[in-house]
Amino acid sequence: MDHEQDYVIEMLHITKEFPGIKANDDITLQLRRGEIHALLGENGAGKSTLMSVLFGLYQPEAGEIRKDGKPVKITNPNDATALHIGMVHQHFKLIEVFTVLDNIILGAEDTRLGFVQRRDARKKVEELSKRYGLAVDLDAKVEDITVGMQQRVEILKMLYRENEILIFDEPTAVLTPQEITELMHIMKGLASEGKSILFISHKLNEIMEVSDRVTVLRKGRYIGTVNTAETTPSELSRMMVGHDVQLVVDKTPAKPGKTVLKVENLHVPSHLYKHDAVKGVSFEVRQGEIVCIAGIDGNGQSELVFGLSGLEKCSGGKIEINGVDITHAPIRKRSEAGISHIPEDRHKHGLVLDFSLEQNMVLQAFEEPRFQHLGFIKFGDVRKYTERLIEEYDIRSGQGPITTARSMSGGNQQKAIVAREIDRDLPLMLAVQPTRGLDVGAIENIHRQIVAQRDAGKAVLLVSLELDEVMNLSDRILVMYEGEIVGEMDPKKTTVEELGLYMAGAKRQDRQKEARA
Amino acid sequence: MKKESFWDKTATRSVLASLVAILTGMVAGGLIILIVGLTNPTLGIKGAWEGIRLVAAGLFSTGRGSAGELTFGFNPTSFGNMLFRAMPLVMTGLSVALGNKAGLFNIGAPGQFLAGTAASLSVALSVPTSVLPAWLIWILAFLAGMIAGACWGAIPGLLKAFLNINEVLACIMTNWIAANLVTWFFDVSNLKNALEGTKSGYIYKTSTILNDVVIDGVSSTVGAAVPEGAQMVATRGGVATGKMGLDALFGGSQINGGILVAILIAVVIYILLSKTTLGYQLKACGANRYAARYAGIRDKRNIVLTMALAGALSAAGAALYYLSGNTEFFWNTYQSLPSEGFNGIPVALLAINNPIGVIFSAVFMSMLQICGQKLTELTAYNEYITNVIIAVIVYLSAFMLVIKMWIGKLRSGKAVKK
Amino acid sequence: MPFLIRQTLVYAVPLMLVALAGVFAERSGIINLALEGIMIFGAFMGVLFVRFVQQWGWFQAAYDAKNYLALQGFCTLAILFAAACGAVFSLLLAFAAINLKADQTIGGTALNLLAPALVLFFIRILANQNTLNMYTGDAASWFMLKKAMFGYGRTQQMGFLGSTFVDKVYVATYICILVFVVMSVVLYKTRFGLRLRSCGENPQASASLGINVIKMRYAGTVLSGALAGMGGFVYVLTTANCSANGDVAGFGFLALAVMIFGNWKPLNICGAALLFGLFKCIAASYSTLDINGDGVYMLKNLNINTNIYRMLPYVITLVVLAFTSKSSRAPKAEGIPYDPGKR
Repeated sequence: MDHEQDYVIEMLHITKEFPGIKANDDITLQLRRGEIHALLGENGAGKSTLMSVLFGLYQPEAGEIRKDGKPVKITNPNDATALHIGMVHQHFKLIEVFTVLDNIILGAEDTRLGFVQRRDARKKVEELSKRYGLAVDLDAKVEDITVGMQQRVEILKMLYRENEILIFDEPTAVLTPQEITELMHIMKGLASEGKSILFISHKLNEIMEVSDRVTVLRKGRYIGTVNTAETTPSELSRMMVGHDVQLVVDKTPAKPGKTVLKVENLHVPSHLYKHDAVKGVSFEVRQGEIVCIAGIDGNGQSELVFGLSGLEKCSGGKIEINGVDITHAPIRKRSEAGISHIPEDRHKHGLVLDFSLEQNMVLQAFEEPRFQHLGFIKFGDVRKYTERLIEEYDIRSGQGPITTARSMSGGNQQKAIVAREIDRDLPLMLAVQPTRGLDVGAIENIHRQIVAQRDAGKAVLLVSLELDEVMNLSDRILVMYEGEIVGEMDPKKTTVEELGLYMAGAKRQDRQKEARA
Repeated sequence: MKKESFWDKTATRSVLASLVAILTGMVAGGLIILIVGLTNPTLGIKGAWEGIRLVAAGLFSTGRGSAGELTFGFNPTSFGNMLFRAMPLVMTGLSVALGNKAGLFNIGAPGQFLAGTAASLSVALSVPTSVLPAWLIWILAFLAGMIAGACWGAIPGLLKAFLNINEVLACIMTNWIAANLVTWFFDVSNLKNALEGTKSGYIYKTSTILNDVVIDGVSSTVGAAVPEGAQMVATRGGVATGKMGLDALFGGSQINGGILVAILIAVVIYILLSKTTLGYQLKACGANRYAARYAGIRDKRNIVLTMALAGALSAAGAALYYLSGNTEFFWNTYQSLPSEGFNGIPVALLAINNPIGVIFSAVFMSMLQICGQKLTELTAYNEYITNVIIAVIVYLSAFMLVIKMWIGKLRSGKAVKK
Repeated sequence: MPFLIRQTLVYAVPLMLVALAGVFAERSGIINLALEGIMIFGAFMGVLFVRFVQQWGWFQAAYDAKNYLALQGFCTLAILFAAACGAVFSLLLAFAAINLKADQTIGGTALNLLAPALVLFFIRILANQNTLNMYTGDAASWFMLKKAMFGYGRTQQMGFLGSTFVDKVYVATYICILVFVVMSVVLYKTRFGLRLRSCGENPQASASLGINVIKMRYAGTVLSGALAGMGGFVYVLTTANCSANGDVAGFGFLALAVMIFGNWKPLNICGAALLFGLFKCIAASYSTLDINGDGVYMLKNLNINTNIYRMLPYVITLVVLAFTSKSSRAPKAEGIPYDPGKR
């Protein structure tokens, strides 16, 4: 081991097991003082587990943590705080109804006789905010400020606690490109002030831009640590995934037919804020094509789907399916008009987790004559139907049709939903992040099913956050930014970089002008 | 697929968990009796021992022997009364269980019970038997009760579905409103019992024969015996549930055919919940309201429907109870709510919301009440100890899942040892 | 008019105190449906305390010597005792909800069933009837402030303020107001209050900042129990002549409605409680209510049935909830058991 170096934190040979899985297997990570150290790995590579160990949320089975060369024990977040370790979590740990100031001081309040000394705290936070260029409105409530400002609040929380080691867990996932640039700038500034930064990401370009060194994990194992200056994105990519895999979907060119879904100037209100989340969106989806809505999370894609499926009332505009106006139709009517829907959240919307698999398979169809007679469910037919779907779509479960949905694996839950929605054989399919959180095998399977639907003449509207999926699967791409469609492009004629510019709002087409032309 | 052993089945574990709850409740009740006995010189350890025996086996109590000792044996009257009292509890238990299945905590059963009481009593006592036969009036009164209960139950349902008001709070408020409304309704009605002298706070029993007569130009109501010279206007009352031979089995008790009606309704609800599309919808809404909405199930309609059905069930319990013929209703109820309503909660929870299970847990609850009654009659203790036991059972029901997990662990621990 | 204000306060003050009890529990993340039961229990224990202590000689001596200070001190002690008992009783809810991750609605309902059952069981054994009274005397003469204490004669008037806020007013009412103010300040201005509120909104965030969520939720629930127990005793002291009968007629649930109507904020709750207190007061004493002091009982002369007045508070509650529920914002994490493993 290199003892010449000034390591501020060392995690040596960390092993952490969960029932059935070794999340961290002999992982070593050494952080130098004042460096930005990237931790790279795919979803499920063990990054978050390793950070949770460092933060005292999990206890490792084996391994040692050293601070300034001395072994330390971290059993809860308080220990981590005492060692001046702070973390910006992927999902912000903020109290929405509190003010920014209260959020910053929470847990580290200065008190006199038990009373919180907000005036002193305000002075301190204002100083920090000026010094590091972190502009925040201290009296605004967190629920009213932008995601970017929320992240600055999280950073200020760490600085207020005088943390020396700052962990950023996937900090750019929810940010716009401008905000990402700003964050990179802030991180560099923090490092030059002597803070040591751990930057967790799976985005290579960000890592190349900001980090000094990179440690790569794969499937819970330590792959290696390299100096950023001496490596290339393709080398990092190979370390991250193991071999050159590219998710390429075999598909023939689309042969679009007549229009199935027609959306005109659609407005959908937002759940969180008082304005519309979808602001005047117009587009069409035709038979035999996959149209993909791309964009950074939170730009109105979810609300657009809610508006189309009827889960949310539209505040304006018009939706037509095969020429029938369904703008104000209830969900069941839309479903009958021809919409099947693979929902974004399979646990909230897709399944009744406490129902058995067979009960879930007829969630919409139970009132059709094939499954009921005079209001009595035909259990035999439901069983037979489920068994057929299990067979056809390779849904694996412990006890077949009577397995409780809750006890099935995520991949098989999703397969069940996909099977149910495809088998309803309707002209339009809404598929929202259909492969989220699944392994490669399951992803391929579902991609194949979606392409097969297209080839069978169905119209598919796909919403995805994964650029690979967007580029590989779609026949047409619509980019959403802040509730509007800002660009329409052909995946064969565009690049990921160009797509990124649209998603970031840096570029936009005047679609109306084009439509007129 | 591996076949599950009997002890690993969810159903077995559920029953075991309920038994644990019952046992804990009984032990808690016994302990309180013991402590009170030991600290109270007039009771002492002997009194406490008597109390504990009555709590455990009051159903078999036959009073005191010649030497003043407690005697036990088969007591047909107690058995009959147990089944009679179980009758309304089955119905309110079904009411709460149905709500729970659909994800709604129906704590409004007391109010619905009162609504049913008012409607069925007023129909039974005001439709003249000279116009319609008594059995038809019984049916009309029963239906009127159910309709009134359904309407009353639908109110919190509507408030929940369309204004998102917590159903628990809405139910509590409608309970107290019902208590005052029913008091007011009977206060201004002519159904108050004035025939039996001091019984002015009561409504006529439905079996009482009432004759509306005109004597010397003045209208009045008299009993079965019509004075000479009175001009008959109408005969009312005389409505009572048929005994169906059950009184022969359980001599001296209040039992009647109503218990059979209650069991029949429980079976109907069981079929409704487990075999029909309606039951499927209600359960889907209860288990995951979002998924139900996603699937196009009309969740708001189902909330209202569930509460209306639950209200009808509670009210049917009231109708069965008060149409028995010889039960009396104290109309001035504005400051207390009928315990049959609240006891529907433990009945449903103990049965883990299974309609067939509700029959058994209702019988158990009414057995406890008989025990409490014996305790009051025979010792210095009182019947409220049974309510303590019931409360402890409800308390344990709140973490039934944890208890089931413990049972599972106990079981797997044994398996490892083998 | 002084009578109306005085009586309104009698109902409004325990109401807002118990509503604040609900706030403490819910803001820490626990739905306290057991307020009603805790009130019943607190009321019983308070009366029991008064009854026991009255049996000691010095009490009668203090009364005979017109030592009002000692009597009021004694009353305050009883209030504190009721609060302590309420806190202990609420531990049952805390244990089930926090340690066993129980269904909080059912847990609360269990306590609502348990309290009257236990209380009536003991009352029957102690008093051989369904009501437990004081050992001696009646509430009015023992614990009220009276003009005689300030040297006013029988025929002398104290003026509007005096006869509204001093004469025939319970010191307990002012103690409750004081506690209400202090606890509201605790909730908003102290470190404890800040941390408590964070646990009801986002306990995972609180835990990540080193706050002990379990401890905070226990604190919230137990404080809630103390306030509700106190409110329960003050309620029976001021409205039921200091007697307990295992019932507070849905007052705890009204407090919950006041809490929701007040949007979980003390100042709004204060206003809501005054409104509800007014209706409760009208319901209880409309027939002797002389609003403008001209000797005419206006409400009684309207000839509306008593029961209409009696159900008024409950009807108003529903109507008010119907209008406010859309805009009300409950603590985000209330009712959800805290699971440290979940992130």
